[in-house]
Amino acid sequence: MKILCLLKPVPDVDQLRYDRARNVLVREQARLILNPEDATAAATALEIKRAVPDTYLETVSMAPRGARPHLEDLARRGVDQVTLISDLRYAGSDTWATSRVLARYLETRDYDCVFCGTHTLDGGTGQVPAQLAELLGLPVMVGITALAELDPRAGQAVVEVDGERALLRFAVALPAVLGFQYNPDRKLPYLRYADLNRDVSQQVVVLGNNALGLAETELGLRGSLTQVRRIEVDALETKTPLRLRADQEGLDTVCHWLEQKGFVQP
Amino acid sequence: MKRVLVYIDEEAVEDSLALLEIGRRLYGEQGFCAYALAAGGGSGEAGRRFDYVFRARSGALPNFEAAALARCIAALHQAYGFDVIVFPATHWGRMVAPRAAARLRAGLVADVTAVGSEGGEIWMARPAFSGRLLATVVCRGGGPVMLSVRPRVFTQRAPALKSAEFIDIDVPDTPAPGVRLIERREKPAVRDIRESAVLVAGGGGIARDFPLLERLAQALHGLVAASRQAVDLGSAPRAIQVGQSGKIVSPRLYVAIGISGASPHLAGIRNAEYVIAVNPDRQAPIGSLADIVVEGDGRAFVEGLLERLEAPRTQSHGGRG
Ligand SMILES: Cc1cc2nc3c(=O)[nH]c(=O)nc-3n(C[C@H](O)[C@H](O)[C@H](O)COP(=O)(O)OP(=O)(O)OC[C@H]3O[C@@H](n4cnc5c(N)ncnc54)[C@H](O)[C@@H]3O)c2cc1C
Ligand SMILES: Nc1ncnc2c1ncn2[C@@H]1O[C@H](COP(=O)(O)O)[C@@H](O)[C@H]1O
Repeated sequence: MKILCLLKPVPDVDQLRYDRARNVLVREQARLILNPEDATAAATALEIKRAVPDTYLETVSMAPRGARPHLEDLARRGVDQVTLISDLRYAGSDTWATSRVLARYLETRDYDCVFCGTHTLDGGTGQVPAQLAELLGLPVMVGITALAELDPRAGQAVVEVDGERALLRFAVALPAVLGFQYNPDRKLPYLRYADLNRDVSQQVVVLGNNALGLAETELGLRGSLTQVRRIEVDALETKTPLRLRADQEGLDTVCHWLEQKGFVQP
Repeated sequence: MKRVLVYIDEEAVEDSLALLEIGRRLYGEQGFCAYALAAGGGSGEAGRRFDYVFRARSGALPNFEAAALARCIAALHQAYGFDVIVFPATHWGRMVAPRAAARLRAGLVADVTAVGSEGGEIWMARPAFSGRLLATVVCRGGGPVMLSVRPRVFTQRAPALKSAEFIDIDVPDTPAPGVRLIERREKPAVRDIRESAVLVAGGGGIARDFPLLERLAQALHGLVAASRQAVDLGSAPRAIQVGQSGKIVSPRLYVAIGISGASPHLAGIRNAEYVIAVNPDRQAPIGSLADIVVEGDGRAFVEGLLERLEAPRTQSHGGRG
């Protein structure tokens, strides 16, 4: 069985700082993490590989070159091939341009299933899996909370989705794009000490548009169908709260406040 | 006359119908013709608010048939030339929309919270980075403007009643259906936390005391909500989870007890009018959104507050009136 897993390195949102004086979001210090849902997908794939050892697992990331050291660790955790698609000309790609690049690469691979996250922490559009599926002509399901079955011979996966009103179980014909939901219990395995500095360069493949051959007009900002006009960081405006203790005085103050605002009758 | 198509998610009919408001904001009450695609259900309700309602001739085409639905939308666009196509940003809306946009080679903006037009160009605003910033985005290229919209962000004032013309459409041929529903287990219905003006939310710091939160919620005429941690610990059902992967709420009052305030949680409560946070940790990021921070034990806070809120009521039964 061959699984491709899409993984996006993203800045850790909780480490973003807002520089009030310059009105900008400081991203530089924020360390890169694997998008948590993608990590869930990769951990699921690694579990399958442990249970079914002849599983071949490749991760695919479109990211700046700087992400390489970060991704290399995946090979040390048991991924067979770590693919980094990186090209300066891809900068500024929206989800459409990103899906096109990923689709072009996937067309050159053969696989039983594509794993991915449902959405990313940074953009959070959740559009890549379905756009990619449309480009590749594959079925897609996202928001997957459990993978009950993955059987390439029967040509189907059985997945569970925690819907708004019901728990749903679907059979999805393979190959398919399966988007997982974040699951804190499904973590990537720890790096074994012996693997910490293992040379994995043979397992890392870096390629750019010279290999993929998309037309210049399809790349980056030019190839995007949406364009960001303005970014506002007002959302980071913080309040200066009234600070109280959970003692008699604090509770009285809260009660009084609730009355004043009309939440309780005096 | 402009043409606006709204996709009706049969699992969220009311939220989908309300997206008509997008047309109104962009073109004014009389400035557009309203089309609904109600292939999976909800066509009756849509019929009372839209001008035209598309149904599938061959019977219901449910949400999860995203590939077939995308083809329907593309075919309809060929025939009608919509200016705007709107989807609810629900689980299913967000699966159908990208497929349809990819077919139409049209720009798609997800999870929109505000729209407008400027010099004839439509702009859309959406939160990014867990709601820590707001991006204003435009679509390029010739296709229709496509967007998915957060449920409940646009509330519709007294919708005009209409009597739609129903149009039965043929579903274009799709390669063998790739997704088959094999089981559906209804979840127990819970009251929708998005409809409550007051929410008493508990997190990891008070996970054992949810029954107590229930009492406080009652005293404040509100509902109980939860952080993801509380849900993952099994203290609360997923349906009442607040945040990026839960529900986006906009109550008048949000009482956050034992909730640290990680970005994915804060993303769900940015529109709360007032926030009271209870947390022994002075540094907890929930403080950045709070009007009042009570530094202390959540259980002690709730018990103390209940004493005060429940006591006067018993007294008033005693004749104080
Ligand atoms: C992809 C993704 C999506 C996510 N989506 C969501 C989401 O939708 N909603 C969400 O909430 N989270 C979400 N999370 C998780 C989020 O990052 C946090 O892990 C989560 O919000 C933490 O919940 P918490 O603050 O209740 O619990 P904890 O992190 O366990 O914090 C507990 C808090 O309780 C305080 N505390 C301790 N003792 C007491 C006491 N005696 N009384 C009162 N307070 C006490 C602590 O100081 C601490 O601040 C998501 C994460 C990821 C990666
Ligand atoms: N640049 C990328 N490289 C690899 N996978 C990606 C990339 N962008 C998105 N994905 C995958 O698509 C999912 C949804 O992303 P998005 O549509 O950007 O929210 C992610 O969880 C990833 O699995």
